[in-house]
Amino acid sequence: MLDFIGLGLYDERSITVEGHEALSECDRAFAEFYTSKLAGATVEELEEYHDVDIEVRDRAGVEQEPEPILDAAEGGEVAFLTAGDTMISTTHVDLRLRAHERGIDTRVFHGVTAQSAASGLTGLQNYRFGKSVTLPFPYAHGGEDVPKSLVEGLEDNRERGLHTLVYLDIKTEREEYMSADVAAGMLAEGWADELAVAVARAGSPEPIVAADRLSTLAEREFGDPLHLLVVPGDLHHLEAEALKAFGGAPAELVAVE
Amino acid sequence: MGRRKKIVQECERLMDKPENIRNIAIAAHVDHGKTTLSDNLLAGAGMISDETAGQQLAMDTEEDEQERGITIDAANVSMTHEWNDKNHLINLIDTPGHVDFGGDVTRAMRAVDGALVVVDAVEGAMPQTETVLRQALREGVKPALFINKVDRLINELQEGPEEMQRRLLDVIDDVNELIRGMLEEEDYDWSVSVEDGTVAFGSALYKWGVSMPSMEETGISFGDIIEMERNDERQELHERTPLSDVVLDMVAEHFPNPLQAQPSRVPRIWRGDAESDLAHQMRDVEDEGDVVFMVTDIGMDPHAGEIATGRVFSGTIKKGQELFVSGTAGKNRVQSVGIFMGGEREELDRGVPAGNIAAVTGLRDAIAGSTVSSVEMTPFESIEHISEPVITKSVEAKSMDDLPKLIQTLQQVAKEDPTIRVEINEDTGEHLISGQGELHLEVITTRIEKNQGIPVKTGEPIVVYREAPQGASREVEGVSPNRHNKFYISVEPLSQDIVDAIQLGEISNDMPELERREALQEAGMDKDTSQNFEHLFGTNILIDDTKGIQHLNETMELVIEGMEEALNDGPLAAEPVQGALLRLHDARLHEDTIHRGPAQVIPAAREAVHRALIDSEVRLMEPIQDVRIDVPSEYMGSASGEIQGRRGRVDDMFQEGDLMVIEGIAPVEEMIGFSSDIRSATEGRASWNTENAGFRVLVDNLQREKIGEIRERKGMKQELSPAIDYI
Repeated sequence: MLDFIGLGLYDERSITVEGHEALSECDRAFAEFYTSKLAGATVEELEEYHDVDIEVRDRAGVEQEPEPILDAAEGGEVAFLTAGDTMISTTHVDLRLRAHERGIDTRVFHGVTAQSAASGLTGLQNYRFGKSVTLPFPYAHGGEDVPKSLVEGLEDNRERGLHTLVYLDIKTEREEYMSADVAAGMLAEGWADELAVAVARAGSPEPIVAADRLSTLAEREFGDPLHLLVVPGDLHHLEAEALKAFGGAPAELVAVE
Repeated sequence: MGRRKKIVQECERLMDKPENIRNIAIAAHVDHGKTTLSDNLLAGAGMISDETAGQQLAMDTEEDEQERGITIDAANVSMTHEWNDKNHLINLIDTPGHVDFGGDVTRAMRAVDGALVVVDAVEGAMPQTETVLRQALREGVKPALFINKVDRLINELQEGPEEMQRRLLDVIDDVNELIRGMLEEEDYDWSVSVEDGTVAFGSALYKWGVSMPSMEETGISFGDIIEMERNDERQELHERTPLSDVVLDMVAEHFPNPLQAQPSRVPRIWRGDAESDLAHQMRDVEDEGDVVFMVTDIGMDPHAGEIATGRVFSGTIKKGQELFVSGTAGKNRVQSVGIFMGGEREELDRGVPAGNIAAVTGLRDAIAGSTVSSVEMTPFESIEHISEPVITKSVEAKSMDDLPKLIQTLQQVAKEDPTIRVEINEDTGEHLISGQGELHLEVITTRIEKNQGIPVKTGEPIVVYREAPQGASREVEGVSPNRHNKFYISVEPLSQDIVDAIQLGEISNDMPELERREALQEAGMDKDTSQNFEHLFGTNILIDDTKGIQHLNETMELVIEGMEEALNDGPLAAEPVQGALLRLHDARLHEDTIHRGPAQVIPAAREAVHRALIDSEVRLMEPIQDVRIDVPSEYMGSASGEIQGRRGRVDDMFQEGDLMVIEGIAPVEEMIGFSSDIRSATEGRASWNTENAGFRVLVDNLQREKIGEIRERKGMKQELSPAIDYI
C-alpha cells in the first residue's frame, strides 16, 4: 500500500488528522522536499511529532530511481510525503501510476495547498481563477527574463477577467526561495501599475497579505519564505472589499464599476 | 638616427596611404624555401644584414624553429619597397608549410590580400602547394608564383637553358591547373604567367631572382644566369638582379592594395548588412570610421603579454580604445598598438589605420578569429580550418605545484592556436591536448617545457575517434525523469556534400536564415527539411519537424543542450558524433515551466538522441591519412609494404623522373612511428608526405576491441547498451 499524504502549508501540524493517523501507522515513510518545503518545521520535528522515521529522497531518487519506494510499498504500508498536497502543484501522479502498474494499491490523503491559501487569505474566489503559472529563477529556465509561456498564460487569464496564481520558484538544494518582492519586480517590467497580491507564510499563525501595484510590491519586504503572488483579473465587489480589508489595497486600485 | 628608426618612420608615413600598401603572405610546401625568401626580402629592405640572409632565418623567431629548420607559427613583418618611383609598405606574413600547422596558414590568409606561393623547381607542385593555394583562393587572396631553387637545376641536374625552361613551364602549368580547378565557379581568372609578370624564378639561397619585367630591365637572360651560376659568380648575379627587388616589384605591381581588395573581400568574409555604414566604411578602408579589427593570431610576449595580430578593416585602432570582442560580454581596453619589424614589435601611439596589419595588446578576451570593434557588429565568418584534430596526448605537470601554471598555459595555447583542443578528463584529472599530428603536439609540449619552464610528463599519443550513424533510425522516444515530457527523435546520416559545406563554413548558426536555407539546398538537402533547420552542432544538424507545439520554443534551448551533450559523448565510447541529421518529430510537454526545466528536458533529449543513434547502427570512425612516398624503384616493394602493413591501401604507383611515387591511405593510428620505420625500410632513401584525410568507418572486427580500449582509458564501464547488438 502506498499512501500519498499532503503535509499542508506550514509546519508539522498542518497535516490533516486523517493523514497524521495514516502516517503514524505506516511501516516506512519517504518524503521529497525538492518541489516545496514546510517553512515552519524541520524533518526532525516532523519525525518526532508523528513518531516515524522519514527517508528524504532527492529528485533522482523519486523520478529516476523510485524502485526502493515501490519495493517497500509492495510488501508493507508506505507513506509518501510532500509539503502542500502531493497531487496539486507537485504532480506526483507519475509515481502513483508506476505503483498502479505494479499492482500496488494507493490512497491519497489531501493536504492544504497554496491554491487554498491563494483564495482563502485574499478573498479572491476560487471560481474566478484561470490557469496557474510558475515564475522560475532566470538561471533555471535558461532565459534572462520572464518565460514567454508565463506571459501568455497571464495575458490569457487577464483577457478573460480571471485571476492568476503565480507560484514562485524554489531551489531547496541551494536554499533559494523566490520572494514576492523579487517576483513583483520581474513582473513589474511588463505590468508596473497592475494590481497584485503578495501572500507570505500562508498557513503560519501570522501570514501576510499585501495588495498593491506590482511596482510598489517590488519595493517592499515580506520576510521569511514561502511566498506566492496572485495577479487578480476583474474584481467582484466582495473581492474588492476583501482586498481592501485584508490586504490593505489602495481604494483607487480596486474600484469596482 | 638609426636605420631601423628610419624604416619605422617611413612605414608610419606609408600606413596612411592605402594605395601604397600591400598585405601579403608567403606560403608553400614544407622546405620549399619560404623563410629563406622572407629573409631575402628583409635584407633587401635593410632590416637584416645582406650577408646573413639565407642563413639567419629571421622570421623563425622561436628557438625550436631555428633548431628544426622549419617555420611553426605564422610570423609577421612590415617593410618598405620602392616601385615605380613610389615607396610601398609591405606587410608580410611568413606561414608554416608543414601539414600539421595548416591552421596557421588559413588564419594568415584572412589578414592578407596577396599570397606569394613558393614552389621548389626540382620537386614541383606538392600536396601542400595545393593546400595553401586552396586556403588562399577560398579567402579571396590573389596568388603569384615564385619558383625557388633554380640553382639546383643548373648545378645538380646540369640542365641546359631549354630543359630548364621546359621544366619551369611545367611547374607553372601544374600550378595553373590547380588554380583554375579551384576557381571554376568564379568569374575571374587568377592563373599566373611569365608574360604578365606574376611568376618569378630564382634562388633564395644565393639571393638572385628574375622575372620577365626584370629581364627586360637588366638584360640578363637564362643563358647568362646558367653561365654565372656555373662560374660561381653568384655574388655578382645577386648584385645585378637581387631577388628581393624582383619579388617585391612583383608584389607591388600585381597584388591588390587594400582599396582594391577590401570591396570584394569584405562581402566574402562578413555577412552583416551590406548597406550599413559599417559595410561602406570597411569597403572604403575608411581610417576615420568605426574600428573593425579581425584577429588572425594570438602570440605571447614575455614582457607585453598576449599580442593579438590581425587586419584593421576600418577605423584606426589606438591605445586606450574600449573595444567589443565578438562572443564575449563587455569591452577590452587597448593597451598598445604597433607593427612588426622582424621579430620585434614597434609601438605606435598614433595607432594603426585601416588597411594595415596591427599588433595589439590588452585584448584579453580575444582569440584567433575574434572580431574586435568599436561598435557592436556581426562578427566575421569564422576562420574555418578543415583539418580536425586527430591525435591526443595527455599532459601532466611533473610537480603538483606547477599545476595552476600548466592550466593557464594550456588555456593560452588553445587561444593561440584554435586547431589545438584542450580538455580535462573529469574522471582522471588529466589534461588532454589534441592537434593535427605528432609533430604538432611535440612542438606544443616542448614549448610548454622550455618557454614556461614547466617540466611535464606526456602520455603516448592517442588517436581521436568519431562516432557516426550508418543508416536511418526509426523514430525513438526520450522521456524526462518525471515522465511528464517526451521527445520523439530520429537520426540519419548527413550527405558528404552537406558535411563538406559545413566544414567549409558555408553553413553556420549565425548566418541569415534564407541564405542558410539556400546553402543547404545547394548542398543537396530537400526543401522541406532545409526550412525546418533548427541548429548546427559540429557537423550535425537538428531539424525541427514539429508543428505548432505549445511551449516548445522556450524548451528548444534545453533540447539543444541535451542534444549537444549526447553528440559530444557518443553512445559507443563517448567520442564526438559527426555527420548526423537529427529530426525532432514530436514533443509532449508539461504545462508548467518548472516541470519542463533543464533537469527534465536535457536528459530526455540526450536519451532520445543516443537511442536513435544506436538504432541507426552508429559505428566508430577512425582518422585516416593520404600518404605519398617518393622512393628509388629498388625500394618500392618495402615502401609499399609499409603502407599495406598498416591496414593501409596503395591506390597508385607511378614513375616520376628517376623516382617511383606510391600513393595510398592508411589509418592515423597505424601511422604513429611511420617516420622511423620507413627510414629503416628504405635505408633513408624515401621522402614522404602525409595529409589528414578525414574519418573512415573502422572495420567491424576491430570495433568492439577499440571501443573497449577507449572506454577503459576513459574509466567508463565496459558493458555497452544491450541494444548495440550489430557489431
